[in-house]
Order: sequence, then C-alpha cells, then structure tokens
Amino acid sequence: MPRTGSRQRRSGADACTDAIEIENVGKVFRTRLGTVAVEALRDVSFAISPGQFVSFVGPSGCGKSTLLKLIGGLIEPTSGRITVGEREVKGSRRDIGMMFQTPVLFPWRTVLENVLLPIEVFGLDRRSAMDRARDILRLVGLEDRERAYPSELSGGMQQRAALSRVLVVDPQIILMDEPFGAIDEFTRERLNLELLRIWEERGQTIIFVTHSIVEAVFLADRVVVMGTAPGRVLSVIDVSLPRPRSIELMKSPDFADVVFGVREYLGVAR
Amino acid sequence: MSTHLAVAGGERHSLEGTTGVSRVSASRRLYEFLRNRPGIILSPLSFVLLLVLWEFVCRAGLVAPIILPPPTRVWDGLVILFTAPWFPQHVWMTTAETLIGFAVGGVGAILLGIAMVNMPLFKEVVYPYVVAFQVMPKVVLAPIFITWFGLGIESKIVMAIAISFFPVVINTVVGLESVEENAMLLMRSLVASRRQIFWKLAWPTALPSIFAGLKTSLTLALIGALVAEFVTSKDGLGTLIITFSFELKIYLVFAVIVVVSVLGLALYGIMEYLDRKVVFWRHSHFTG
Repeated sequence: MPRTGSRQRRSGADACTDAIEIENVGKVFRTRLGTVAVEALRDVSFAISPGQFVSFVGPSGCGKSTLLKLIGGLIEPTSGRITVGEREVKGSRRDIGMMFQTPVLFPWRTVLENVLLPIEVFGLDRRSAMDRARDILRLVGLEDRERAYPSELSGGMQQRAALSRVLVVDPQIILMDEPFGAIDEFTRERLNLELLRIWEERGQTIIFVTHSIVEAVFLADRVVVMGTAPGRVLSVIDVSLPRPRSIELMKSPDFADVVFGVREYLGVAR
Repeated sequence: MSTHLAVAGGERHSLEGTTGVSRVSASRRLYEFLRNRPGIILSPLSFVLLLVLWEFVCRAGLVAPIILPPPTRVWDGLVILFTAPWFPQHVWMTTAETLIGFAVGGVGAILLGIAMVNMPLFKEVVYPYVVAFQVMPKVVLAPIFITWFGLGIESKIVMAIAISFFPVVINTVVGLESVEENAMLLMRSLVASRRQIFWKLAWPTALPSIFAGLKTSLTLALIGALVAEFVTSKDGLGTLIITFSFELKIYLVFAVIVVVSVLGLALYGIMEYLDRKVVFWRHSHFTG
C-alpha cells in the first residue's frame, strides 16, 4: 500500500523541524549511596524523522516514560547520547513541549492564564499572545471556557487545556506521557482524533507514550515496542496505514495485522 | 457553610421562577428552610438556654456570685467597661500588640521558611532549633522578655512574635515543599528560572498552607500579648483581668474575657475572610 503518511506531504514545508537520534542510550537510577537500584533502560537506539508521529508502547516499568524524559532533557542518560537536530540534548529546550498523564493545570489560574504560562515563562508579550491562545482554545473546543478555573472542567477538558498550553508556543517536538491515560475511553478516542487533526495541520514531531497497543498503532507512523527488566526496545514497527485516520480504520484487517504484530513482540517480552 | 450557600442559591432560583407568588410563600419557604437546617435555630437556642440555666444557678444561690457571677451581672460589667473613658486604650493596646507581633512574626516566619526551603544546608542546621522552639511552651519566656524589653509595649510584641512565629515557619516550609513533581517537571520543561518557578509555582502552591499557619498564629499572637500583660504591664486587657481579679471584681473579669473572646473572634474572622479572598482555590484540588 502506498504511504499516504503526512510525513512526505509535510517534509518540504517544515525545514525547521529537527530529527531525533537516540544512540546506545542507557539509564540507571541509583540510590543516594550509589548502589544500583534500577536499570531503567539498556542500549536503546533508534531515530525519529522530522514530523513523524511515534508511539512508545510497553508494559509498566519498560522505561518508556524515562526515555521520554531523556529526550526532553529532564534527566540525563547514564550512557549513550541523544541528539535533536544535530545538537546533543543537555537539559530541557524551549522548542520541545511536554504533556503529562495529569493535566498539571495551576488551580489559581483560569484556563486562559494556564495556557499563557509558557508565554510568561519565555518572557514573550502576553498581549500579542492572547489572540493566539484564544485561537488554540477554539481549536480544542474550549473557547467558551477560557475564564473557567481548572476545577470547573471535566478531565477531558483539562487535558484539552493542557494541550493548548503546549501548542501556544508552537514547539517543533511534543512529548506526551500517557496524556489521555486517566480519561474515559469515549473522550480519549475523541481527543486522539483531535490530536491527529492538529498534528496534520501543523506537522510537529510527536512522541506519544501509551500502554494501549490499539492507541499506539492508531495514532502513529512508527511504534516503538518496549519491554521490561531491563527496559529496552524490542522492535520498531512502521505503521503504513493511510491518513487521515478515522475510527473506521480500526475495523480494517490491515490495522488488526499491525496490532497483532505489536502484541506478538510484547508477548515475547517476558 | 457551602451547603448553606447552596441552599441560598436554590432559594434565589425558585424566586426567579415564581416572582408573582414569592411574597405569599415567603413564610412557607422560611419554614422549609428552617426545617431542612434545624441547626440554625438549635445552635443559638442552646446558647440562650445555657445562659438561662447559668442565671438560674446563680440566682438560686447554688454558687457564690464572687465565684461565678450571673450573666446579667457580666452584662453590667460590660456596660461599665464600655462607658468607662479608660477602657478603649486597653483594648487598643492589646490589639496593637497582637497585630504588630503577628505582622512582624508572620513576615519573618515566611522569610525564614523561604530561606530554609531554598538553602538545604541552612535548613538542616536551623530546623532542629525551629522544632525545639516549636515544642517549647513559649509562655515561660514572658518574664525574661519583660526583663529584656521592659514593661512597655515592646515586651508584649516580642512575646506575641515568639508564640506566633513557628507555626508559620513550619507551614511555609511544608507548603513550599508540597509542589507536585509533574508541576515541577512542567516548569523545568519550559526552562523556567528559579525565580519563575518560585513565583509562578511554589509560592501559590504554598499559600493555602501558609494561610492556615497565619490563622493559627494570629490567635496565638493574642495569647502571647495577654500572657505578657499578665506578667507585668500598665495597659492592656490582660492587665485589666489581673487587676480586677485582685480586686475580686469577678464580674468585671468575666466582662473582659467576653471582650477578649470577641476580639479573638474578630481577628480570626478577618483572617478567614482574607484566606477566602486570597486562596480562593483552596477547596479545588490541584489537577496534577
């Protein structure tokens, strides 16, 4: 099947988007006394092309969140190196946005103020960012809730607000750590479709950590399948299913094939 | 409180719906409101009953008036106090000692708490002292403060500071350290400066805890001021209590106690109000 993946469609337009390279990365968490506690990742290598949507999938403890934090520069690898656009990752970068399993909205800020947080931290002009923030809230369907406080929103709306906060500074790479994991399945499916729509419009590189195989396959161009003890990459599977994707796709035998393929790798991982 | 508000909100709702008949059904609605919340009646009613019982016990001669004056006598005492020209200055003195002590102590305590959280080594060194002072009954310091700072307002302020300081220190430290890991990761992923992390995340996170400490400490500051006045003083409500006790004017002692209680209640009410205004999100949990 010919790839109608948006990667090709976008590759010309987004010259500013960087590739991510992960070379022989290992991460060991030590206790304070220096004794080995957990080997979270061992010898992980793969590359992510600009504008790709990549899922990390695997059981708890496979180091998928650790790998995400390493790429985001929130922690440092014990061995190996990670480069984003030829530059080695040393500390976090403002062109990489992060989203967590919890929305992490500040309860003392309204939705709009929460979305403007990165603008303030970056020292950009709040006034001129206001229109952009409102555009993004409209994009995620929160335009009439901008004055609401997070506690007045449902879980799904809170994560929409969190997504808006990432999008407001238009990062070229978005790292998402099980962003919709705590949300009911109906809402999650809708949010996933919205995420794909936004990604297809803007063409960021998105890394999406999940423990749902179906979700991983449905969203991604490539699925990085990870296993435990020690955390490692079992396989990187290309998903050449057509885009734009709809829920209908889940019925197709091609989709089932890929899902089964991923499942097989995870079955091997004991 | 919140259920009360909810009921009030509901009332307004039904008012909108039935504007024409609202006057007719007003008494009925009042009746239903009270039936749903009998505590609103029963709580003050129990207080009145208590006063009546107290009065009866005294009038019946079961207790000597020198030991327990009847409520009516305490009321006389209050009238005497509030008509006396010398009374306001005593109220003012105790209030000033309390508020100055609370303000100085509160600000100092918050600053110390911030310093401790930001400098781990400093915290490690200082924390044992804080805990030691916290568990010490500060009342024992009152005579020393009188010796050091004299009979005037200074020694009372110092006592108020000493007694109200540590709850705020500890609540500030606890509050600042209760920042959620993901919130910290978010700020770090945005490459926020230390200053930004403090002002945009840690400080607001700590505010509910700090305010809880301040509320406790304002009441404590009043205790500190009164205790120091007990020891030696020329002015203040504590002085009045001691003086009237010596003169065996127990009904006046009771009257001053009522004034002190109302003062404490008023101060607490102000803090409660500020708390609700400043930390309006207290009852909404952190979403992350």
